[in-house]
Amino acid sequence: MKKFKIQSPKFEITVFLAFAFFVLHFTFDRTAAAELTAKANHDHIQIDFFYHGSTVSVKGVADAGTDLVIKITSPEGHQVLKKKGKVGGLLWMNVGDLKFEHAPNFYSVYSTGKLEDILSPEEMDKYTIGYSSLKNHVEVTPVTGDEEKTAWFNEFLKFKEASSLYAMSSNKISTTPLDNGRQEYYIMTDWPYQATPGDYLVTVYAVKNKKVVEQAETKVNVEQVGMVKSLAGMARNNGVLYGALSVLAALSAGFGVGLIFRKGGGAH
Amino acid sequence: MYLYLPVALTSINILIPVGLGLAVGLLSGLFGVGGGFLMTPLLIMFGIPSTVAAATDSNQIVAASTSGTYAHWKVGNVDFKMGLYLLLGGFLGGLVGVQGIKVLKAMGNADFVIKMTYVLMLGIVGSYMLVESIMSMKKKPSVAESKQQKESGMAKFLKSLPLQTHFEKSGVTHSALVPVILGGFVGILAAIMGVGGGFLMVPVMVYILRMPMHVVVGTSLFQILFTCIEVTFLQAYTNHSVDFILAVLLLLGSTIGAQVGAVFGRKLKGEQLKILLALIVLVVTIKIIFELTLSPSLLISQAGGH
Repeated sequence: MKKFKIQSPKFEITVFLAFAFFVLHFTFDRTAAAELTAKANHDHIQIDFFYHGSTVSVKGVADAGTDLVIKITSPEGHQVLKKKGKVGGLLWMNVGDLKFEHAPNFYSVYSTGKLEDILSPEEMDKYTIGYSSLKNHVEVTPVTGDEEKTAWFNEFLKFKEASSLYAMSSNKISTTPLDNGRQEYYIMTDWPYQATPGDYLVTVYAVKNKKVVEQAETKVNVEQVGMVKSLAGMARNNGVLYGALSVLAALSAGFGVGLIFRKGGGAH
Repeated sequence: MYLYLPVALTSINILIPVGLGLAVGLLSGLFGVGGGFLMTPLLIMFGIPSTVAAATDSNQIVAASTSGTYAHWKVGNVDFKMGLYLLLGGFLGGLVGVQGIKVLKAMGNADFVIKMTYVLMLGIVGSYMLVESIMSMKKKPSVAESKQQKESGMAKFLKSLPLQTHFEKSGVTHSALVPVILGGFVGILAAIMGVGGGFLMVPVMVYILRMPMHVVVGTSLFQILFTCIEVTFLQAYTNHSVDFILAVLLLLGSTIGAQVGAVFGRKLKGEQLKILLALIVLVVTIKIIFELTLSPSLLISQAGGH
């Protein structure tokens, strides 16, 4: 409680300053401090029964003459997947598990130019931007060496891209020059329905001379609501009741349809 | 129209599960199989995670087989006594089969053994049924003769067993041990292969228990109903993998399909039913053989399920 009391005025000041900055930014555009900004629209995505994906747009202001990279990721995690291989030189089947450590479930990168052209490999690795740096970042086990790691990581990318969870694009960000030596950027992305509920981090990097010069962050939250949320919660936390209800519903549906057909099809 | 599935965590066009349910329910009412060997891979193809696909399918089969059992029971085609003996055996066999999988996994390459068992079983059962039904349709007059010849060895052995009892609905007399042991055998295989086993149980009832085809269909559905209630509950309890919404969409189609199938079935002769089922089983076998030999587009898949 004590801690909270101390922090509270600070927080208010921060909010006030942010608000003041916001107001100043628009009223005294020319004199505002040059700073990279980022704001996600539709940053709270609600999953209800009729959800079939959404769109997320990110916009902000950056210094003119900088390239921009926008990265959207879910928190890093541990993923276990099955690998297929040839058995006896003829038959394809699952031949074991592959573990991917420090791999996000969702990873998409958008940029104003080809990543290799606007960023040095060191900078890409430092900020984990792009598939090749993600490969260096992620641990794959069990593999015998770098070559096998690359091969399985590429398969992993194919698997993720097939379900729209990983994406890479260098022509979706649009920029408009402003008359104060700044530029406004904007991107509209399709948000795949396969992305699971949780918090997603949007990081915008301003890039100059192959180096990241500035970065700004914003968040996108995906959440189940209403009946979708209660059903998912019950399935997870109350398996006995959920199982019993599922069976009962199926039994009564089967029996109900049987009765309807008896009335309808009197001939038999 | 799309609906979001809260456990599968994906969105699906509702026409897909309703249509799949209708088609598989029809097969269920016609042949007395659960249809898991068709439904589960189709659901996976439409983006449902494999564990959720298998568990939700069993929930759906509860509805389809209730509907189908009811339809067949109305016209007196369910042998409850035989069904209960087979169930008892199936339950015991399932317990043994689950241990069998543990042994296979410990030995390594369990997937290979499971897939091979599955392909061989489907292939043998499908071919045998096809050849046998075509032969018996061709030689209508001599059917009784050949049956008596075939029966002599097997029938003598079956008659020598203790606990002989008469199954009124099916019009056969067997030792109570026979359905229990056969049910157990199917239960072991079904547990190892991770399927319901209807496609094995139907031929067992037709060829070894010598039950009339129409009673076989009804009795098989009755038996499948109980197996799937157990599986659905266990999957919901231990794996949290039953998607209620997906199950409802599937059963909208399958309960109606099962009724239509049962009506259709009454218009077909036993031999015709056997030929159709044999063809479907063979098509599935060929499909699995292709899957095993052609290079897959993705070499990585979600863990869980087969």
